[in-house]
Amino acid sequence: MNTIVILSVTGIAAMMSDVFKLKKALFGLSLLGLLIALVFSVYDWGQYATYFNQMVLTDNYAVVFTTMLIGITFLWFLMSKDFFSSHSSASEHYALILFSLTGGVMMTNFSDLTILFLGLEILSIALYILAGSDKGNLFSNEASLKYFMIGSFATGFLLFGIALIYGATSSFNLQEISAYVQQHNGSLPMYFYAGILMILTGLTFKVSAVPFHFWAPDVYDGSPTLVTTYMLSVVKMAAFAALYRLFIYCFAPVYEFWIPVFAIMSAVTMLLGNITAVYQKSLKRMLAYSSIAHAGYMLMALASPGGTSRSALMFYLLAYAISTLGVFNVLYQVHKVTGREEIKSVKGLFRKNPFAAIMLTLCMLSMAGIPPVAGFFGKYYMFVSTLNGGLTWLVLIAVLSSLIGVYFYFKVIIAAFQEPELENTAYYRQPSDLTVLYICGILSLLLGILPQFVAGLL
Amino acid sequence: MSQYAFYILSALSVASALMTVFNRKPVYSVLYLIFFFFTLFGHYILLNAQFLAAVHLIVYAGAIMVLFLFIIMMLNLNKEVEPNKSIVAKFAAVISGGLLMIVVVSAMKGVDAAAINQHSEIGLVETLGSVLYNKYMLPFEMVSVLFLTAIVGAVMLGKKEIK
Repeated sequence: MNTIVILSVTGIAAMMSDVFKLKKALFGLSLLGLLIALVFSVYDWGQYATYFNQMVLTDNYAVVFTTMLIGITFLWFLMSKDFFSSHSSASEHYALILFSLTGGVMMTNFSDLTILFLGLEILSIALYILAGSDKGNLFSNEASLKYFMIGSFATGFLLFGIALIYGATSSFNLQEISAYVQQHNGSLPMYFYAGILMILTGLTFKVSAVPFHFWAPDVYDGSPTLVTTYMLSVVKMAAFAALYRLFIYCFAPVYEFWIPVFAIMSAVTMLLGNITAVYQKSLKRMLAYSSIAHAGYMLMALASPGGTSRSALMFYLLAYAISTLGVFNVLYQVHKVTGREEIKSVKGLFRKNPFAAIMLTLCMLSMAGIPPVAGFFGKYYMFVSTLNGGLTWLVLIAVLSSLIGVYFYFKVIIAAFQEPELENTAYYRQPSDLTVLYICGILSLLLGILPQFVAGLL
Repeated sequence: MSQYAFYILSALSVASALMTVFNRKPVYSVLYLIFFFFTLFGHYILLNAQFLAAVHLIVYAGAIMVLFLFIIMMLNLNKEVEPNKSIVAKFAAVISGGLLMIVVVSAMKGVDAAAINQHSEIGLVETLGSVLYNKYMLPFEMVSVLFLTAIVGAVMLGKKEIK
């Protein structure tokens, strides 16, 4: 709860900083706000408290996801300093990012469907705008418009679903809904199930699961690279946290109804994402498709809820977000120098900066799910929990599709170790440009060596 | 007393709604639509729904209708020439209108008129305010963040890039 207040106050302070001539200190100020929020978030560990008439529920699940969201945003800030300085409206950019993080934190802490809806809207509206923040670029405009149109459509679904659930259970509150569902299981009206499906549709739009993924490649490809990074790491994390929380807290008694939906969605998503990613020449577009595939693996947690699926989802999201940040840090620097985003523009990285190449390899291995890095354990925990849930066929499909994934992730690694093709490969100009890559590579390795410390949290 | 008021208001709203549809000049249509919104405002007052009445007047009759008028003036649509609609379009319009009517009639059929409490206090501004500031305090405050985000975004997108 405190984190929501701190983050929104930081956002408002960032917005007002133009007035008080604090523009120079804005970067430090935002980092400070994030740090304070992080401390308060960790401080809530072990508590089980509701705030504001049960609008917000802070439990360990919320604390872990909030901390992850803020931590990832902190790392994102470190790599995107010039995203802000290159625009004339820097303070607005800061404010939008901080507001959208506030929305994300609301989505992990909600205990009432109104808060879920508001959090999702704050998160999305800030990103509709940020997707189009490169105003001169036609692709950025397209991404923004597409994201806005389809996002609003999805929000409509979510809202209609919430209305139907309210009609059936006469409550917005998660505890009350779950108590009602428990009590009346078997005699629930048809439109309650329709409501579940509509909420499912609305939220899986946001995580770009097949068949609601059509917007994702264009939006991820067209948005400014750093905004794409933010979408892939923070937004995906918040949306999955909300999806899992809602379905586990509220609709667990009727799980026979929605498990098959998630299982099939998960299988189709990972297959389609991985197969389409193989054909991509642009690194950014390939990562966009791979993010769709990763959403498929994460949906496995919802296809086999209960057991260890909660910690599996948490670990997978963390591993994925960290490796995404690392890879996009390289992509951003490459793009800044060469103006290109193809896979082959990474060529010569090892020759110019061997350490960076090794760290990029670690991040890529983590995405592909190869030991000894974090992504392997993310997949391992996910597969084990799904096997315990009895969905052997889903795990088989997941293993097959990760084999496809290995192919295109290795294309990048091989390119990094090849001889440079272009003269202009000076994307390590300042050593600080790739700090986040180093942090992410080392974090991936640490998480891969000692996974139980983080996975044991939930 | 309120019964007579209801009948007069209803007659006025039906008449103005029909005039909106049948009028050939778009500006007159819009003016009749504004009149229609005012009669709806009266209906809300009769139902003791102050808040809805106020919102209706401010949002619909105030903001949205001005928008309509502006668009009609800017596009210079105030001409009597209207292209003849084909028979298929008329047919489709009749069918969709009829479907809507079936839905409305079937929804109204099962209504228990006695159950509607005319003097309920649920629509009063006071009731709404106490709910908003007690139970829904946090969402009410967070909506302000949502609007702030939208405003900041609009400013950012609309601002000229100064190098």
